[in-house]
Amino acid sequence: MSKWQQQIRTWLSRYFDLPSDVMLDLPRITTIGSIHVYIENHTGLLHFSDEEVRIQYKQGQIRILGKDLGVKMMLKEELLLEGELKSVEFLPDSKGR
Amino acid sequence: MKNQHDFFQGIMTVQVEGTLIEPFLQACIKRGCYITNMRRVDPSIVILTIRLKDWKTFRQLRKKYRCKLSIKSGKGVPFLLQQLVSRLSLLFAFIVAVVVIFILANTLWSIKVDGLSPELEADVESKLNTYGVSPGKLTIGMKDPIEIQQQLLEDIPDLLWIGVKKQGTSYHLYGVEKTRYDTDKNNRPSDLVATKKGMIIETFIKKGRPMVSVYDVVRKGQVLATGQLVEEEDTFVHSEGEVIAETWYRVAQTLPLKQVLMLTDGTVESEYHLKLGKFSIPVWGFWRGEDGDFREEIHGSDWNLFGFKIPIHIQTIDYYSIDRKAYESSKKEIEKLGLSSARSNLQQELDPDAEIKEEKVLHLSEENGKVKLILMYKVYENIAETKYISQGD
Repeated sequence: MSKWQQQIRTWLSRYFDLPSDVMLDLPRITTIGSIHVYIENHTGLLHFSDEEVRIQYKQGQIRILGKDLGVKMMLKEELLLEGELKSVEFLPDSKGR
Repeated sequence: MKNQHDFFQGIMTVQVEGTLIEPFLQACIKRGCYITNMRRVDPSIVILTIRLKDWKTFRQLRKKYRCKLSIKSGKGVPFLLQQLVSRLSLLFAFIVAVVVIFILANTLWSIKVDGLSPELEADVESKLNTYGVSPGKLTIGMKDPIEIQQQLLEDIPDLLWIGVKKQGTSYHLYGVEKTRYDTDKNNRPSDLVATKKGMIIETFIKKGRPMVSVYDVVRKGQVLATGQLVEEEDTFVHSEGEVIAETWYRVAQTLPLKQVLMLTDGTVESEYHLKLGKFSIPVWGFWRGEDGDFREEIHGSDWNLFGFKIPIHIQTIDYYSIDRKAYESSKKEIEKLGLSSARSNLQQELDPDAEIKEEKVLHLSEENGKVKLILMYKVYENIAETKYISQGD
């Protein structure tokens, strides 16, 4: 059922040229160089330390690695990280998709 | 995220300690909290900044996630106010001090009046008092010096001019008195009569007809000059003038040969008392014994506060030690002493214009340790006195 729903959404966003993050409930990650990361549409902060930040989103987790990481601002669905960014990794749930 | 809004609402830096920090924060955010500047200090310690209004939510949730919260610091208006309240007493004292200084600086402390006779000075001071200008009063709401000046000139006719100057907390008044010329001419007919027996030395009759001449010996009450200008006629004037006559005085004195003088030798012991109404509390020097001869001098202080006499005084009692000394003087010395004292006594009794011309020792005898002295004085003085003529109609 959910898979079918997902397919409909993908089709709709393509057909009407809608932003995919809104339609698909996916996080939008904006980085400014390697000093700032701006994550929207996430569902929770899982782990937070100087070197690693893990964030939950609908279909999995995002792992951000870096140095001297810190949360500049945190809201319900927004997160602004600062520090020396090294990588952003997506770890989708195995059962998802 | 430092903006105006946060400043007024107040923001605080909080330390969160525990193992379930992330779920705790997640729960807080779900309730609408706003977290900024989060840093991990230690695997189990996070420091973050939240708004003051979110503190309630944090407290509610911390038990559930077993987190320890501690406030590091606070910023913004609510914290400033809190600080202010804790220093309110200091602030209050400061305000009171400013007010007191202001009041003291605006209080009139002294009034100085110059250039007037004591009677007029007292008059000016009492008038000033009725205007509400007296030491201890506030100068705020007091009349201007110029206004006071005008009012004083209006109210006291004897003043020719008065300058009122305000110098800091004192009023300085400088007045000029009107010199009064006797304008009321006395035209009642009168004679000049002798006040005492004497021999005329000099006559100076301004008005009237002289009745005596130089070297005449006159009795008391004798007419010296009359207002009746022509004999047996009804034209009378007010006679005026001076008649200097030689008068005689006899002074008798008895003086002891032996005199005991009480001399203070300069040693003073002071005793201080604090007086509260009728009670007297010894403060200093009360251990002084009662030995020897002493002369007491008591001084009290008058303290005024805002025009009220306060009932607390400091009383000082000075004890001057007295040295009794007996002096035995010779007859010659006694005579000298008697002469000078009799002369000064007589001079005091007489008119200031009178002149002692001659003195003579009539009698000098010694009996029972006392010297009897009889002196004779020759004085030149004015004996003329105005006596009104009753015209009897």
